[in-house]
Amino acid sequence: MKINDNCVGCGQCVSFCNQGAIEVKGKATATAACIGCDICFLYCPVKAIEVSV
Amino acid sequence: MKAIIIGAGLGGLLSAAKLSQVGYQVEIFERLPITGGRFTNLNYRGFQLSSGALHTLPHGPTGPLTQLLKEVNADVQIIRSDQPTIRMPLEKSNPNYRKGFKDIFFNKFFTPLSNKDRLKIALLIVSTRKNRPSGSNLKAWIINQFKDEWLLKLADSFCGWSLSLKSDNVPLEEFFEMIENMYRFGGPGVPIGGCKGVIDALEAVIIANGGRIYNKTEVSKIIVENGRAAGIFAGDRVYEANLIISNLGHAATALLCSEALLDKTYASYFKMLELLKPSAGIKICLAADEPLVGHSGILLTPYAKRINGINEVTHVDPNLAPPGKHLTMSHQHIAPENLKNLRVEIELGLEDLKEIFPGKKYKVLLIQSYHDGWPVNRAASGLDPGNETPILELYVVGDGAKGKGGIEIEGVALGVAATMTKILG
Ligand SMILES: Cc1cc2nc3c(=O)[nH]c(=O)nc-3n(C[C@H](O)[C@H](O)[C@H](O)COP(=O)(O)OP(=O)(O)OC[C@H]3O[C@@H](n4cnc5c(N)ncnc54)[C@H](O)[C@@H]3O)c2cc1C
Ligand code: SF4
Ligand code: SF4
Repeated sequence: MKINDNCVGCGQCVSFCNQGAIEVKGKATATAACIGCDICFLYCPVKAIEVSV
Repeated sequence: MKAIIIGAGLGGLLSAAKLSQVGYQVEIFERLPITGGRFTNLNYRGFQLSSGALHTLPHGPTGPLTQLLKEVNADVQIIRSDQPTIRMPLEKSNPNYRKGFKDIFFNKFFTPLSNKDRLKIALLIVSTRKNRPSGSNLKAWIINQFKDEWLLKLADSFCGWSLSLKSDNVPLEEFFEMIENMYRFGGPGVPIGGCKGVIDALEAVIIANGGRIYNKTEVSKIIVENGRAAGIFAGDRVYEANLIISNLGHAATALLCSEALLDKTYASYFKMLELLKPSAGIKICLAADEPLVGHSGILLTPYAKRINGINEVTHVDPNLAPPGKHLTMSHQHIAPENLKNLRVEIELGLEDLKEIFPGKKYKVLLIQSYHDGWPVNRAASGLDPGNETPILELYVVGDGAKGKGGIEIEGVALGVAATMTKILG
């Protein structure tokens, strides 16, 4: 997954990632712990998370 | 009669509860897998953080939201918070809290003033209720009346906390309507279960009344026929309705029916949309082993660099944190010119917390920022354009269409109540 410029930094994705793989400070970034499950994608309120299909 | 609600935020759910109560067949479409928008809980490391709000109802158990919840028989308990306090430096002339501080009660806010100014405040408290000042903004008005910096700092801290605005962006009429609402409705409160306590209760009402909520279902278009809302497109399907309520704010709603609005007769509506500015803010969520604020009321921090206020909702509902822990949340307004330096704003907020809670042990759980498409308020308070749209049977509710003088979700509730009066008579 990729986080685009729409991200406002609301942290909603952080709370739904079971791997603890997102850090947020003004903007979200995925860490090396990300397993690409794409769960976070569904929960972003501003469509900032892109997944490859 | 069939009603479609676009968005399951607080405004959408309140409307759905009311309409389903009086016999409308109600369908709610929500893009996200969760219900409640910026007013629900986010479970994080055993703490009930939130998707937006700081688990606070500005007018607590006697406010417009609670009244509406009672009217639709939503079963949620709202507890009045302790009196707000204000953190003052030991000496009023100190620029910050570094040399120590003391807390005073909010209703004693005038004590740091000179005798002359205190007398003036006492007179103004009476006279402004009879003859409401109007015309300028809050900051300009204070400067005109008083020489004292203290009142300006307090005004910024109060407006930052409650509206995520600076006092020079708050129209005087709106401020005095807010004050009148404080007399009318009383001070803040916290729902048991946090924001989600309210949302769960509304969902239960809607389901019991035969309404349906479709999550993970985005509305892509509002269908307009002869200037009248007739239905929506969601997930390749058309859903027809006699009434459509949008919870997305005026601008996003207009985008869903932009073709219909192209007509020249709607030009003034589009012009108005350009004036709408969302308010921005940062919430810092702290986990603490011991109380940091020490009471369930709001702590205003007018001498902090950025943080406007802090609350500690676990004094009302300990279940919002793991056993023995406290959940403490700060809020700071972001000025439009500082949006591009969000990280700097966050660092200033974190520095403030160290000064406000020196020697206290706490962990930063999550730092959440809100602006543009997911803001603190879609329309800055005092600039809400009402609930009607140029399209018949299409209404807008939520914090892009709040009622007058209604702080945050109380404004959402006032807006919904006004909309229901228009629709139901
Ligand atoms: C940091 C912060 C602190 C706050 N603190 C407080 C507080 O302590 N007290 C208080 O009273 N208020 C507070 N607020 C304000 C309060 O949270 C909001 O005013 C309120 O939640 C907004 O509700 P709404 O009805 O406008 O709906 P929203 O919450 O905006 O919900 C709209 C819903 O519509 C959905 N949606 C969007 N587009 C579509 C589409 N095309 N199709 C289907 N669904 C769609 C969204 O996913 C969302 O769920 C705070 C806000 C923030 C951000
Ligand atoms: S949920 Fe979306 S907007 Fe919020 S922090 Fe995550 S990526 Fe950014
Ligand atoms: S893709 Fe899965 S693991 Fe990666 S950040 Fe999103 S939720 Fe976490």
